[in-house]
Amino acid sequence: MITRIFAFVERDLRKFMRNPLTIFSSICLPIVYLLVLGNSFQGSLKNLPLGLVDLDHGPYAKRMIERIRSLEVGPDTVEMRMMRDSGEAEAQVRSGQLKGALIIPPDFSKAVFRGTTPQVGLIVDNTDSVSAAALQQALRAAFSALKLDAVSVRPNRVVPQIRSMELYRKVDYDASIVPGAVIMAIFMGTMTTGAFNLVMDRFLGVHESYLSTPLTKGELVLGIIISGVFVTTLIALVVLGVGIWLTDLRVAAGVSSFLAVVMVIALSAMGLLSMMCVFLARVDHPRIVGLFGGFLNIIFFFPSGAVYPIESFPAWLRAFSKVNPESYAVHALRSILFKGMNWQAVQADLLFLSGFMGLMLLLSTLTFKRTL
Amino acid sequence: MPKPAVVVENLVKHYGKQRAIDGINFDVAGGICFGSLGPNGAGKTTLIRILTGLIQPTQGRAWVAGFDVSQGPDAVRRAIGVVSQAMTTDLDLTARENLDIYARYYGVSYKERRRRIEALLERVGLTARANDLVASYSGGMRRRLEIARGLIHKPSILFLDEPTIGLDPQSRRVVWELLAQFRQDEQLTIFLTTHYMDEADFLCERIAIIDTGKIVVMDTPSELKKGIPGGNIVEIVLAQDQSLTEDRRLDTLISKLSSRPFVQQVIQKEGGALTDSIRLQVYVTNGPEAIPILMGMVQDEGFGLQSIGLMRPSLEDVFIHYTGRSIRAEEGQKVNFFIGAGVPRRMGG
Repeated sequence: MITRIFAFVERDLRKFMRNPLTIFSSICLPIVYLLVLGNSFQGSLKNLPLGLVDLDHGPYAKRMIERIRSLEVGPDTVEMRMMRDSGEAEAQVRSGQLKGALIIPPDFSKAVFRGTTPQVGLIVDNTDSVSAAALQQALRAAFSALKLDAVSVRPNRVVPQIRSMELYRKVDYDASIVPGAVIMAIFMGTMTTGAFNLVMDRFLGVHESYLSTPLTKGELVLGIIISGVFVTTLIALVVLGVGIWLTDLRVAAGVSSFLAVVMVIALSAMGLLSMMCVFLARVDHPRIVGLFGGFLNIIFFFPSGAVYPIESFPAWLRAFSKVNPESYAVHALRSILFKGMNWQAVQADLLFLSGFMGLMLLLSTLTFKRTL
Repeated sequence: MPKPAVVVENLVKHYGKQRAIDGINFDVAGGICFGSLGPNGAGKTTLIRILTGLIQPTQGRAWVAGFDVSQGPDAVRRAIGVVSQAMTTDLDLTARENLDIYARYYGVSYKERRRRIEALLERVGLTARANDLVASYSGGMRRRLEIARGLIHKPSILFLDEPTIGLDPQSRRVVWELLAQFRQDEQLTIFLTTHYMDEADFLCERIAIIDTGKIVVMDTPSELKKGIPGGNIVEIVLAQDQSLTEDRRLDTLISKLSSRPFVQQVIQKEGGALTDSIRLQVYVTNGPEAIPILMGMVQDEGFGLQSIGLMRPSLEDVFIHYTGRSIRAEEGQKVNFFIGAGVPRRMGG
């Protein structure tokens, strides 16, 4: 039995290795994804063009401008452009040249000095709600700091002061999506190996040859999945290595961490490959795999927490994330890579991934069609 | 008496409302080459797929190498080799790798595998190209490799579905000779499907003509030919003569020939290589005995005789006789298909 399974595995591996374009695509696409997504999102918004019209020219207006300038040089949230005319500023927001315009009125400093509520105007393009919200949030912080300085004589002891304590080393956004890139590599692997080979064999009529040999249903399914797991795990490890190098990510090193990473990747690959075998059990055209693959990638990847925290999803999407194997894989990889190896932290993930793999393996064997 | 290699009892296969196999019965003696002959869509491929365990029959039973194809398909698969109609060798593997991997599917030991692979590569003339990817092979080379692969585990029965389809005449001939040699050397039973008359005639000791899912007739090629009325055809070519323009004299000759008891039918044919000549095909029961009588009758009527010869009926004639149409006409109505891609899988030939 073992000889027959490994003969089948060898066949698939040799075919895969002789197809350099597939290997290249399987490795490069997740890395490109990492580069594009990591650099386009970067966690918080940056360099939002903000027009600033100072009609006051008083001391508090200057301090206000200094505060905003600190947003420009610090977190890079805004890119400030001084303007003289509020009408022109509004026009530029309308035309999209600016994401917002802040108008400091003539009596601004007086109002702050008198202790009355100072009013400033903020014109935003609310059709771009994400940028508008980010601008409002950043400016609100600048305003509140200004008000405390201006109004409070001594610190208000009633308001609790937050002193944050970071448990782990800071992880930049692009580095934080490395586990997502690995999961995408696993998914890509499941699309280019395993059941995909079976569909191609059906399409070319090649499957007729091995269906007329004594290979059993179980041997065929295991052969398809083992070759896929082998290739997919290698691809995912290469993507992980390149991702770590590109993002300068400092991971928790050690044999146990590496073994745990390999285990998570292999379990995820086996589960997803088995799932693809179930879905593609009767498919005989590669076009369907392409369509189906694109769809499944979206369905499984984005709700996995690889890009955005699961906790922020609506209830129905959170419910789906709870049965999504990629959520557990992402969680486990993040845990191991960013926090160091802690079996307790990944125990539930490994348990779910093992259960999912077992269920899908059983279903794939049951649904596999041994005849034409 | 040796046990039959294949036994088929009341076999039926439906695809929806269509009956691809419609209640057929036959058996194939061990050690012979058996041919299932018929046009595309006759049910030949469906039959071979049932016998090789690739599809389940709707009704009826079949035994291959003594095993029931429905109850013990694994045992059947171990006993047989299969060469499918589509080219099914892996293009991204070398010939040697293709053979090695298939030998391992059958559990052939390492030592035996090495020996057998080299021997088969030598036999099919692919030793020099054994380490080349199959993608670089011609259709004929690939088909030879598939035959070698079908024999890698020394099966007792080799099934071939249209083994020479899509090959050039020279490659077809090579495949025929290979099959004939293998059959003798490996003491094989060969079960093949074909729609080529010459292929069936060359290779098969017993032929079943299949049409619309039914066996129309089954016998040895010579008996099949003998079985059609006018088992021999005498072709008479009349010498060019001014008098031939007198149709009345020709009608008289045909009428007199037709009246003889040993003559079944007389057909006047024109054209061919001698465009101005007139050819008569006289269907007789015993050609050698009829020739001198026919020569005398032609001369008695005052015609010059250019040539007279005995023609044996072909399997094409047999097919026409039993089905009422030509197998080539059937082929002409079919859409061409590619070998190796998009081969109809549910409804075979």
